[in-house]
Amino acid sequence: MSIFKKLITAVRGGATEVGEAIIDSQAIRILEQELRDSKVALDAAKTGLTAIMAEKMGVDRKVKDLKQKIKEHETYALQAMAKGDESLALDVANKIAEFEHDLNIQQGILEGYESKVSSLKTTIRQTERNIQAMDREVSVVKITQKVQKANDMAAAKFSGANSSLSSATASLERIKARQQKREDQATAALELESEDNGDDLQARLKNAGIVDSGSSASSILERLKKQKDKG
Amino acid sequence: MSNKNLEQLMKDLTENPLSDGSRLLVEMFDGENAVACIKVEEREEFPIYLTIDEGQILCITYLFGDDQVDPDQRTAMTEAMLILNVSIPLSAFSKIGSQYIMFGALSPTSSIDELLHEIELLSDNVLEAIEAMSDYLKEAA
Repeated sequence: MSIFKKLITAVRGGATEVGEAIIDSQAIRILEQELRDSKVALDAAKTGLTAIMAEKMGVDRKVKDLKQKIKEHETYALQAMAKGDESLALDVANKIAEFEHDLNIQQGILEGYESKVSSLKTTIRQTERNIQAMDREVSVVKITQKVQKANDMAAAKFSGANSSLSSATASLERIKARQQKREDQATAALELESEDNGDDLQARLKNAGIVDSGSSASSILERLKKQKDKG
Repeated sequence: MSNKNLEQLMKDLTENPLSDGSRLLVEMFDGENAVACIKVEEREEFPIYLTIDEGQILCITYLFGDDQVDPDQRTAMTEAMLILNVSIPLSAFSKIGSQYIMFGALSPTSSIDELLHEIELLSDNVLEAIEAMSDYLKEAA
């Protein structure tokens, strides 16, 4: 069975029909046992992989060595033929045949190792994935159990997890109201500050004689007269 | 060893505010020192539960229970959650027992900045998610 299917079974089996998020402790024990088993299997696979890779390296060397020797002897054979020494060339060719036979065998072994290494690597990857999935599940279960316990113990305290005491939307509304209040306060503070600054600026401009110190009755009359003259 | 990591994480989280200046209230949630409870300032209603193991750091927030879901809207809601899952940055919907949750997971080698970013996003996502799902929930009592 795939690890995900197993997890679904474990979690589903634990949820009771009344909808309580109680996870069957038996299922968790099984999960934890599997987790331990998987970790042991992973260690074994990793040790196996190291050993096989070491052996593979040995065979690798042999293969390279043989290929080198074949090349060398091919040169010897050619040289013998160039000198017209047919019998020496034949002897060398025999030697090459021996090497090639050996090479075939070693290459077969090497291929065997290679496929073993790749299958072990797949196993390790898969096991690591399974372990991660189970680790996460165990974490989830731990949190669930703790949260439930806390909710049971402190039923009077509000908590997002405790639906009977505080609905999610009500909690959200509370948070939004708080945020709004904080924003309003910030806006108000900002306005107040700018008003303060503005007043201050006007006062300083008046003092400096840059801005007229308010409309006086005479200045208004002056303006009205001008309007009348135009009209 | 993982417990020690959790304690270190908690210490780091306490000392660092979120990008908007909100502080985090961090406390060990259980006697075995396996689960930490993180409350974002002014959003205490939706605590984030944090665990760490060899494979990952897991952050979970409980959204609401089955009992808050309008029974006629249940299928539509889960469908909406599935569709939304891809679009939500870093967080995803899930369900534990009868509780709908939102969670995010990080590599255990994540930096404190990455974890803070995760917590901040998760906290934002939770509020957005409840807002988005409120159509499928029973009227708030």
